[in-house]
Amino acid sequence: MTTATGKAKLTKSDLMAPPVAQTMQQRSLVIGVIGAAASVAGAFLVPGSFYSAYLIGFMFWLGLSLGCMAILMLYHLVGGAWGTVIRRILESGMMTLPLMFVLFIPILLNLPKLYSWARPGLLADPKTDPKILEIAHSYLNFNGILVRYILYFVIWYGMAYFLNRWSTEQDSTAGQSTLRFRAMSSIGLVVYSLTISFAVIDWVMSLQARWISTIYGLLFIAGEALSAFCFCVVIESILGKRKPISEYLTDTEVHDHGKFMLTFVMVWAYFNFSQWLIIWAGNLPEEIPWYVHRMNGGWEYVGLFLVVFHFAVPFALLLSRQLKRKARTLVWLASWLIFMRIIDIWWHIEPASHPALHISWVHFTIIAGIGGLWMAYFFHNLRSRPLLPVNAPQTLRLLEPTHE
Amino acid sequence: MSDSPVHSSNYGPNYGPIDSPIYGLMAEFDSAQELVTAAHKTYAAGYQQIDAYSPFPIEGLAEAIGFHKNRVPLVVLIGGLIGGISAYALQYWVAAITYPVNVGGRPYHSWPSFIIVTFELTILFAGISSAVGMLALNGLPMPYHPVFNVPEFAKASENKFFLVVFSSDPKYDAAGTRSFLNGLAPRMIAEVPS
Repeated sequence: MTTATGKAKLTKSDLMAPPVAQTMQQRSLVIGVIGAAASVAGAFLVPGSFYSAYLIGFMFWLGLSLGCMAILMLYHLVGGAWGTVIRRILESGMMTLPLMFVLFIPILLNLPKLYSWARPGLLADPKTDPKILEIAHSYLNFNGILVRYILYFVIWYGMAYFLNRWSTEQDSTAGQSTLRFRAMSSIGLVVYSLTISFAVIDWVMSLQARWISTIYGLLFIAGEALSAFCFCVVIESILGKRKPISEYLTDTEVHDHGKFMLTFVMVWAYFNFSQWLIIWAGNLPEEIPWYVHRMNGGWEYVGLFLVVFHFAVPFALLLSRQLKRKARTLVWLASWLIFMRIIDIWWHIEPASHPALHISWVHFTIIAGIGGLWMAYFFHNLRSRPLLPVNAPQTLRLLEPTHE
Repeated sequence: MSDSPVHSSNYGPNYGPIDSPIYGLMAEFDSAQELVTAAHKTYAAGYQQIDAYSPFPIEGLAEAIGFHKNRVPLVVLIGGLIGGISAYALQYWVAAITYPVNVGGRPYHSWPSFIIVTFELTILFAGISSAVGMLALNGLPMPYHPVFNVPEFAKASENKFFLVVFSSDPKYDAAGTRSFLNGLAPRMIAEVPS
């Protein structure tokens, strides 16, 4: 870009989402409702598959909401044009948390279907490992899960609510300080990493109640951040061809999003490998069952598929500068990685309930059902405000001419 | 800002034809915007062997003088591969061939435990390659460069912006190029002796 070419003249109404966002919202809602109805039927037709499939869908879409929140906080702390252009996308994504709050209730009401520590029969059995009884008595029980579930969502939604509300306030009042965003985000990132760690211990790690891994929360943090960046690339490729995003989104920002994708692909692999190496090296009976479950009964192929297509191939492709700089090429890899995120969560959750490779139609309807509702909510949020925070100092910098 | 001018070259070690008494023609500009516009026009006029100098990095300037790719990424890739392969080979040679030690009944060739060092050496070699490769491809260190023969060029590390058309350019001719550069309204034009 060599000249301003009238970029700074964009007004609030110019920056509203294009009509395609409304179309997407309506279609998402249709897909969501059909998917949800099919999934409810699935709960009665295939109850043996439903609950673990539901947890997979819940964890994936929750991860996207929280990933958006974490990336937004990162942006408020470090700044940069890469974040200004996706800030409203991130804010709209994290403001879907109320939906995820409601969608946890089916899990809460069916804990024994998923978690061995919640099964009265197992707890009454004198042969049960006393350690399980101790855990179930002190921490992993209905009241504990209920209290912590409410606490997590109050904290997450509280942080998201204020970041989002202040952002809306920026649209109406110019010249506000950005200090409160930074203060909230610096505390928020710490709080998020702690709460998500506890949450995945409660909801995912406890599927095998005796098994413990101290890096487990980080696996999800890395995955959620990756999901969020891939999601932003997908959205910017849908909306980016049209005004207003086509007016300010340049290859440089897309390139940055590609670099972040590469970073989080590597971080994901790094954390997963760390867990694997330590357990492999220790070779202890209480640590290895998690991998024994996931390296037998056909799950080993899923694991191998993850190594190759969640890490190796995306890593090699993302080294390419040409691929990263264009939204229309990067979007293919971003979509693929979103798919691999779901496979990863499937590989985490499903082997705990099914020793042999297991998938059913209800897995697809749940991903589509929750996803459709999530996307409709997202587009609803996105359409309610300009696609850039119009008075934010970062926006003014973005719309300035490049050379002074 | 650094003391030396930022140097955006459009071809490797950019020394030009040392045998010619004239290295090129230099035009001086007041602002980054003027320099980028002038570079665009010069490149569009068909000049290929041109270079631009500024006190700070300017976005879009490298592209304006026709500079799209450099070979640093390739050097980094090769460096990283050498680092990774040699790290793995070293560990394999030590643990499985020369000094095999039975650790808890694991195979001598226990690849998971080799990965960390392999990863670290990949990063180390790639990092060193990027620094050394960048210097080498820029032809640095370079104790002599003709542009400094123009006294005004000292301002390239302060507040002035310079464009140079090399005499090695096929389209270069002393009078024609000078009148072309004049059309870009520079502050001054100077001949650069080799």
